[in-house]
Amino acid sequence: MEYNEYIQIGMNSIKQHKLRSLLTMLGVIFGVAAVIAMMSIAGGAREAAIEQIKLLGTNNIRIRALELTNDKKAEAEFKGSIGLNISDVNLVENIAPGVEAVAPLKFIDLDVYYQDKQANSRIVGTNASYDEVINLYPDEGRFISDLDILEAKKVCVLGGEIARELFSLKNPLGEKVKIDNAWYTVIGVMQSKNIRKGKSTVIKVRNFNRDVYVPISTVFNRFLSAELHRTINEVSVRISDQDLVIPSSRIVNRAVLRNHYGVKDYEIIVPQELLAQAQKTQQIFNIVMGAIAAISLLVGGIGIMNIMLATVTERIREIGIRRAIGASERDIMMQFLNETVFISVSGGVIGIVMGALMAQAITAYAGWDTVISIIAVISAFGISVGIGIVFGLYPARKAARMDPIEALRTE
Amino acid sequence: MLIEANGLKRTYDMGAVQVHALRGVDLEIEKGEFLAIMGPSGSGKSTLMHLLGCLDKPSGGDYLFNGVEIQALDDLELSRFRNSSVGFIFQSFNLINQLTVMENVELPLLYSGTPKEIRRDRATELLKTVKLGHRLDHYPNELSGGEKQRVAAARALVVDPDIVLADEPTGNLDTKTGKEIMELIASLHERGVTVVLVTHDVWVANWADRIIQMKDGEILKEFREKITADMLQL
Repeated sequence: MEYNEYIQIGMNSIKQHKLRSLLTMLGVIFGVAAVIAMMSIAGGAREAAIEQIKLLGTNNIRIRALELTNDKKAEAEFKGSIGLNISDVNLVENIAPGVEAVAPLKFIDLDVYYQDKQANSRIVGTNASYDEVINLYPDEGRFISDLDILEAKKVCVLGGEIARELFSLKNPLGEKVKIDNAWYTVIGVMQSKNIRKGKSTVIKVRNFNRDVYVPISTVFNRFLSAELHRTINEVSVRISDQDLVIPSSRIVNRAVLRNHYGVKDYEIIVPQELLAQAQKTQQIFNIVMGAIAAISLLVGGIGIMNIMLATVTERIREIGIRRAIGASERDIMMQFLNETVFISVSGGVIGIVMGALMAQAITAYAGWDTVISIIAVISAFGISVGIGIVFGLYPARKAARMDPIEALRTE
Repeated sequence: MLIEANGLKRTYDMGAVQVHALRGVDLEIEKGEFLAIMGPSGSGKSTLMHLLGCLDKPSGGDYLFNGVEIQALDDLELSRFRNSSVGFIFQSFNLINQLTVMENVELPLLYSGTPKEIRRDRATELLKTVKLGHRLDHYPNELSGGEKQRVAAARALVVDPDIVLADEPTGNLDTKTGKEIMELIASLHERGVTVVLVTHDVWVANWADRIIQMKDGEILKEFREKITADMLQL
């Protein structure tokens, strides 16, 4: 018998029992839909996390000043640590292996004015290496130079969003903007970096596009002249070789700790480590999710087997007739197996479509990122074929092994 | 010789007890013969028919069908053999209710791997022969008993079998329809088809050329003339 004839028989049988076949499919439909939906949510979350971590730079090490508790403050004062400062920048530059660039960062939240326009932004005092550190360069003009630092010039480089807000289509280069009652000449405009907003985030990434970069010396002179210690918020380090990032971060940690007299008033963030961590978490999530999906598919499969066993019993006489007119055990087996596979594959296909729609709905209503991967679709399809075969085998064998004479006698 | 059976035995294992349904049957059937098997319930006539029809294999003895040793065949070979050589007509028609008349008649050809167009043509031709050309797309439950049995006859003949086995073909029919079916079977025989009939109706048996009477799993008597019920008295 030709294979398409088996399929024909299977399809006919399903057509004759539409409602029952649909009910039988439900288990697989929901199982597969859940697999697809969950995989697409997980895929979306992972992509978002990885993208954000990559935004931080997988070649980077960030040393960030911590807000101190009162106890910690007392300890720092007692031991004589003044917090993260410029000496740490020099230290890191000299001590860490594979250092490509180091930049100090001092953040001050202030508005920037141009004519009658105002934009709230973050003033970032830094040095000439920062563009290299974050791998983000000016689109127009130039970045801060060593000379700007040396002379503490009142110049600034605008983030893409700020430039658009203040100048719209006008060329900002050479224009003067007002920050805290002082005029700064715009020397450059940064490239825009694509930042996700309002999505499920693992790590907070600040919006680089709203930064305004000013020489760190200028920031110190203008905003911190009254302070005793000129602390900074962050030291960003770029390491040339990815493999050196983790060992370098260990060395940096020890050196900075010594420089701060053993006071841990900073934290070290290694995006590469975070990435590994995120991937590990993802793996655990995948296993848990896979287990849940497996259970729902198992239940679906058992449902199919149950119905198929009932179907076999119901059709004993038909089996006998078919056997009498020349169907072999194999023919009967193939007939029932095909029916089961057909049911589960139909369920699988409907499930894939439903899962994709669910993912779309989740994206639309909850604003989560979802990614429907080809791998998910192919594996869901494969799983439904597998379920059909695994759970159809026993009923089909039962039908095939039936004694034709006994079967013919059944009323 | 179409069929040669020597010392045919069939024993069923019913757990503790063994049931000897056939206790050594010797039977020869010529090509083109019309044979009736008679006997009371439990005499083994159905078992014999199942063996003759290759639905079952004997527990002992030899069975040659067209020179083929049936015991030696595996399930697939036996199924193919049954498919091409044997046509069954049952008392309860045994049509598949979910299939149309046409599809029921086509079914044996489906298992022999005949292409669809040829199946259609052959089934249509046979259904016209049994005067059901106008019922091709009907379902069995839309037919009368006589019509159903005619469909069953068409299905039995569709593969052009060496033998047609009819198990009480008139058992579920009224006298008039029964006669029509017997006339149909007789016409098959006239066309050269070998027919073996199982019945306990003397009137039906008398359509055959030869009648064998069975009792307790053995052949008791053989008649080559018309019989009366008295002749079967034991």
